[in-house]
This record gives sequence, C-alpha cells and structure tokens, in this order.
Amino acid sequence: MTHLLETSNLTKTFGGVHAVADLSFGVEAGAIQAIIGPNGAGKTTLINLLTGIYTPSAGDVRIDGRDTRGLPPHRLAGLGLSRTFQNLQICMNMSALENVMVGRHLRMNRSFTAALLRLPALRRGDADCRRRAAELMDFVGLGDLTERDADTLSYGALKRLEIARALASEPKLLLLDEPAAGLNANETAAIETLIRRVAELGITVILVEHDMKLVMAISDRILVLDHGKQLAIGTPAEVRADPAVISAYLGAA
Amino acid sequence: MLSDFLQFLFSGLTTGATFALVALGFTIIYNASHVINFAQGEFLMIGGMGTVMFAAAGMPLLLAIAAAVALAVIAGMAIEKFAIERAGQADTIPLIIITIGASLFLRGLAQYFWGKSYHAVPAFSGDEPINILGATLLPQSLWVLGSMLILVCLLAWFFERTLSGKAMLAVAANKDAAQMVGISPRFVLLLAFALSAALGAIAGVMAAPITLTSYDIGIMLGLKGFVAAVLGGLGSAFGAVAGGLLLGLMEAMTAGYVSSDYKDAVPFVLVLLVLFFMPGGLFGAKSTARV
Amino acid sequence: MRNWILSGRAGLLLLAVVLALAPLGFGNPYHYDIAIHVLINAIVAVGLNLLVGYAGQVSLGHAGFFGLGAYVTGILSAHYGWHTLLSIPMALVVVAVLAFAVARPILRLSGHYLAMATLGLGILITIVLRTEGWLTGGPDGMIVPPIEILGWQLFGEAYWYALMAALLVLAVWLALNLIDSPVGRALRAVHGSDVAAQVAGVNTTRYKVLIFVVSAVFAALTGALTAHYSGFITPDLGGFMRSIEFVTMVVLGGMASTFGAIVGALVLTLLPQLLTGFDELEMVVFGAVLMAVIIFMPRGLVPSLRTLIGRFLR
Ligand SMILES: Nc1ncnc2c1ncn2[C@@H]1O[C@H](COP(=O)(O)OP(=O)(O)OP(=O)(O)O)[C@@H](O)[C@H]1O
Ligand SMILES: [Mg+2]
Repeated sequence: MTHLLETSNLTKTFGGVHAVADLSFGVEAGAIQAIIGPNGAGKTTLINLLTGIYTPSAGDVRIDGRDTRGLPPHRLAGLGLSRTFQNLQICMNMSALENVMVGRHLRMNRSFTAALLRLPALRRGDADCRRRAAELMDFVGLGDLTERDADTLSYGALKRLEIARALASEPKLLLLDEPAAGLNANETAAIETLIRRVAELGITVILVEHDMKLVMAISDRILVLDHGKQLAIGTPAEVRADPAVISAYLGAA
Repeated sequence: MLSDFLQFLFSGLTTGATFALVALGFTIIYNASHVINFAQGEFLMIGGMGTVMFAAAGMPLLLAIAAAVALAVIAGMAIEKFAIERAGQADTIPLIIITIGASLFLRGLAQYFWGKSYHAVPAFSGDEPINILGATLLPQSLWVLGSMLILVCLLAWFFERTLSGKAMLAVAANKDAAQMVGISPRFVLLLAFALSAALGAIAGVMAAPITLTSYDIGIMLGLKGFVAAVLGGLGSAFGAVAGGLLLGLMEAMTAGYVSSDYKDAVPFVLVLLVLFFMPGGLFGAKSTARV
Repeated sequence: MRNWILSGRAGLLLLAVVLALAPLGFGNPYHYDIAIHVLINAIVAVGLNLLVGYAGQVSLGHAGFFGLGAYVTGILSAHYGWHTLLSIPMALVVVAVLAFAVARPILRLSGHYLAMATLGLGILITIVLRTEGWLTGGPDGMIVPPIEILGWQLFGEAYWYALMAALLVLAVWLALNLIDSPVGRALRAVHGSDVAAQVAGVNTTRYKVLIFVVSAVFAALTGALTAHYSGFITPDLGGFMRSIEFVTMVVLGGMASTFGAIVGALVLTLLPQLLTGFDELEMVVFGAVLMAVIIFMPRGLVPSLRTLIGRFLR
C-alpha cells in the first residue's frame, strides 16, 4: 500500500483556535479520499495546509515521501497537486477558456523573451494549449461556453470551470473543496459522474463535501473531522457504523 | 545639548500633532468606506486660507475660523455627495483618481479666488516664546497640541457615547451587518467626510500661524497625513495619532541632527522601511487571508 | 474576422497607419511637439498598463522611474561626456536595477499599502533629484545635450516624431505579444485571483517583480529620450503629479487595454492644451473633468467602445 500523501501531527492554530489539530493520516494513490465534518471542522484549513496556502503550526506533510515543509503553492503544483476552492477563485478578468489555459501554466513555455517576440514555437504551444483547454471544458461539460468571458458564466458552470482548470495541469492529486455546494440534484449527479471519470484517469482525489449521498457513493475512504481533530477514518461502511461519528452527526442521541 | 533636544522635541510634537489630525481624517473616511481621500490636505488649506480671507474681510478671528471650518465641511460633504457616492462600487485606483481630481478642483478654486501668495495668520496668544530649560516653545504650539488633545478626546467621546458615532463604528466593523440593523452607510459616509473635513480645517487653522499658508500647502500635508495613517496601520485611530506624532518627531530630529535637506524625505523613507518589515503598519492587525 | 479585430492585431495596423498619416495634418513644429508628447506619454502608459491594468498592481510612483531615466542619461552625457548611445542604455540599467531591488518587498503589499509604497518611492526619487544640486542642478533643472550618432545630430521635430512613433508601435507590439502568451495569462491571473494563480503553478512574486521592472524600464527609456529631445530637464518630470497623470491615462483609456492606454495618453495630453482657454481656472476644470470621466465611465473609454463593436460584429 503506497501513500501518495501523508501527514503527521499536522496542526494549524489561528490565535487560540485549533483549526486543525494533530492530524496523521495517509491517502492511497488512486483512491478517492473524502474529508467530511461539520461547519468549521477544519476541512478547508486542511486543504490549505496540504496545498501550501497556509504553513503548518506544527507537523508536516509528505508527498511521495518528500517533506513539503516550506514549499510555496506553486512548487507544490509542480509536485502534481491541483485544487479547486470552496469560494470560487475564478479570474473574472479573463475568458472561460483562458482560465483553463492558466491551469496549464507549468506545462507551457514560460520564457519571457519568447513571449515578447511571439516566437513560432511559443505560438504552436499556445495553440496546442488552447485545444487541450477546450477539450477539458468539453470533458467537464462546458464545451459550448469556450468563447465566453468568465464573468458571464452561471455559478454551476464556474464550479465546473474550476475543475477543468485544476485538471489542466495533469495533476497526480486533485483536491476538491465542496464541488457540489450550492448545486441542485441534477448538477450534483453530474459532478458525481465527473469525479468518477477523473478517478478513472488514475488521478487521486481528495474530496471535501457536505453531501453525504455523494460522499458515501463514490469515496474509497472517508476521514471525519470535528473541531480539527480526527473523529474517524475508514471505508464508508466503517465510518457509517462508527459510534463516535453517529453521536457527533446525530447530535446528543 | 538638552536644550537642542527639547527644541527639536517641541517642534516635532507640534508638526506631529498636525499630521496626527490629518491622519485621523484619513482613518475616519477609510473606516467608513475604504476610500483613501487624497483631498484631505485641501481641508487644511481651506481652514488656513479661509481664516486669512474671512479675517481680511473684516470678520473677528473666532468667527473667521468658524466660517473657514464650515466652508471645509461643506467642501467635504460636496466631495462625498457629488463624487464618492456617484462612483458607487469603484475600485481602489479609480477612487484614488477621483479624490485627486477633487483635490485639484479645490486647490484650483482656492488659487482662483484667493490668489497664489503666502499668508500669515497672527498667533492666537502672541509670539512671546516660552523658555523651558533653554529651549523655546511658541504659545501657538500649545494651541496646536491642545487642540489635538481636545479633538482626540471629543472623537473618543463621539464614537463611544453617541448614536452616530456608534453607527460609524458598526459600519467600519461590518458594513452589511450594520445595514441590516438599519444604519445607512450613506449617512455614515457623509458624516465621515464632514468630520474629517472639520478635523483637517481645524488643524489647518491652528498650524497656520507657525507654517504660513497658501493655496498649495494641501499636497504635502495630505501626503504626509496619508503616510502617518499607513504607518499606524490603516483604520486604526490610535495608530493614526501615534503615526502622526512619530512622523513629526522623526522629521524634526532628522532636520536637527542630520540635515534639513532631507527633512521631506523622512516620512517616505520611514513608511517604506516600516512596510517592508510590517506590511500592515505598526499597529495594524496581523491576520491570515482567508481562502 | 471578429477574433482578429478584437485581438488587437488589427489595432496595431491601424495605429501604424494613423501614426504614419498624422503628420499630413501637422501645420507647424508646435503640432509635432504636442504629438511627440502624446507618444511619450503613450509609451509610458502602455508599459504601466501591463503592471496596473493587467497584473492589477497599482503604482503611484512611475514618474519617478521616468525622471530617473532622464537624469541618468542627462548627467552621464552632460557632465561625464558619455556618448548618448551608452548613456541611454545605462539609464535603463540603473532604473531596472533599482526597480528590481525594491520590487520584492514592495509587491508583497497590496491595495492602499502598495499605493503608499510606490508613491513614497517616486517622491523619494524626486527629492533626491531636487536636493543633490551639484549633480542635477537642483530644482532649476539641467541642460542635456542632443543625441548624436556618427556626427549626425538627431534634431528637428519630424525625426523625433518618427522615432517616437516607431517606438510606440514597437511597444504596442511587444505588449500585445506578451499579454497573449503564457506569461501574460499568468499576469492576468495574478490580477484575477492571486491564489488561483499560485495553485496553478504561477510563481506570483516572480511575475509581479518581472512586470514591475519591465514597466519601469518602459518609463525609463521614454524618460531618457525625453531628456535628449527637450534638452532641458527638471525634477518635476518625476513628480507625484506626473505619476498620477500616468495612472490616470491607464484608467481613463480603460484598464487592461493596450489601446486604451494610448487613448488615455492622447486625451490627457491634449486636455491641458484645450483648457488653456480657461486660464486661471485650468486646474479647476482639469480636476472636474478627471472626476467626471472616471465617475461616468468607470471602465474607461476603449473597453466601452470595444463592447459596442463586439456586439455589432456578432
Ligand atoms: N484565515 C483564517 N484566520 C482565522 N481563522 C480561520 C482562518 N481560516 C479558518 N479559520 C478558522 O478555523 C476553523 C476551521 O475553519 P475551516 O474553514 O477550515 O472549516 P471548514 O471545515 O472548511 O468549514 P465549512 O464546512 O464551513 O467550509 C474555523 O473556526 C475558522 O473560523
Ligand atoms: Mg470549508
């Protein structure tokens, strides 16, 4: 059993709040790993720690066995991490397609001189990137919106656009922070299919989600957080049967 | 030696008090709307020049001061009503340009009606310097420092005890929530402009006997007030006062002990150094941006 | 067709044609002089727009780089006898080094703090220029020799117009290329969402620094050429109000629009000429126009127009 990602004693405090407290867990390569927990449990904070947006107060994260301490987000992206955001982070000053193209940044010719002079090689790379970005938009179901400016897209479309952008870097590990939040049943079902198809590509998925039906249906393993601490971890069936989870979720029953 | 130091201290505190009042003006408007009002310095100009002009027209000094302050308040409210409010949800940069446009407008009017020459306002209680341990203190400096202290106390009372003051604090803390409980952000914004215009004008009047006044004094005073507000951490009233006094002292000490050539450079060197090491200013809250 | 028109390549062609034909309408050297100043401002604005409009980082101190560029080449050529073909590149190097040195700490800031820091930097540059009179002539300014190449002096408005027009076309071409490239998209992403750019692998700090230096060099080159063109420079070239004018050009024409920056430069350079009739009230009218345009056209001139054309072509 190989762990693509592992944390040990990972902790993040804000003032006195332990947003994430002493978490040690691993994510298997190729798995869909869900992270659930009530509001304020620390799920987003955990994602931010894994992707380098926040620096841990204590503990560490290893990716493919490599300690990621001190690495900024763009370096972690280079290690194959990619993510979406709970609160949309779409570049509204760009077209939908360009948003996805930005996602491919690390696989592009990033030479400044080539850009200034618009060298033929760069132009070819750009055309290729444009085509792949359009394919990805098609993959997430936005095939007919490629020409649109991002600020004209609906909320549901923007949620998918984030996924397309995250996929554009051809990541090893995709972290999704509440991809179905605010979506209706149909849209949620479509997201479920989409996540399955992503997993079929061999991409490991970390999924933060409140929709239990979705989580139970597609996760290989589930990590339950409460007040930043690990409440339970295991397969959907195990987690569902866990007394601690039941009492936390069903309240004082 | 001691007398030199005291001398620099007195002059530093005097200019520092003026900067502090300008910075407070920036802070009040910033808290109400996140606008940086580059026309803040013009309120000082209107205070000083207005007093000169009204007094020259035959008004007694006290009345002339009141009229000048009233004029500044009208100008401040006009900027809010006709420019800031109309601009709606404009971004930082357009708002900066709008307030700079407003400051050119006011400065231009002052130049047109009041001319380009420098004017002196007679000191309120004579020019007889007070001697303290070999250093001299102008009575007008006491006026400046005293008025700053009184204004700061008045402001503290206003924000803590009056309904309008509390409404302004509520908007600063959370605009949407404040609106939900029935506070009108527009009213608060108008009040903020009136208040900072009054603060600026009074500072301008008090300092005029020491520094002379003319239609274009607002540029540098405004910029230095902005520096003071940023030094303290934008939005912090305590920071604004501390930043203003610190700035005045640093300027005076540099002019006294190093060289007066670079006196005007002090604020900008200081603010760059502070921001390099403390990106939120000296007293700004440290926080992790939420994602 | 529609894409081609909106992509800016058509605009570049149009710009070149307009610049080539414009002299037909110039009656006297004075017209040339104004046109040259429009071009000077346009080049700075196109560069500044890369930083402010595209990357979303405000600078209220860019005139400082302009002024420093002017003084470095001015001082080297006038006092130290440097050839202008060496002193101008040296001006670019000095400004680039300065901009690079301060860029990292400055660009860690954002919003009003960034505005304050850039403003302070610009003012500090002018204070130094004003104070070090032994080198710069102080507030009264200094005389700068003309550009000389193999004994031939670059002299006369027509030559200068041709040079500046060519430079503007070049600047626009470079800017358009940059914007429509991986680097340009990364820059725009920094503006749109800094954290999204970071997780997409963009080293946001590096890109901000890069574009800060590039736009500073645009300003420095133009400043250096201006020094040799006008033959006389004062510290006001780098003053706070000049910085504000540059930013206003960008906003007025339309942020994140290269042609907008040119239109902004055109309008803001011609405005004072048109306002001379107002005499004493010039500053009042200028201030009022500034406020009115930004309030009523917050998106700027060119993007508003472009929306119209785009709709028309659909
Ligand atoms: N940048 C921050 N500064 C201060 N406190 C923070 C910050 N980010 C998160 N917190 C705090 O950390 C705790 C965990 O927040 P987090 O956003 O990680 O929860 P979550 O599980 O994602 O909740 P939700 O389901 O509502 O998205 C909360 O108490 C929150 O207030
Ligand atoms: Mg969350």
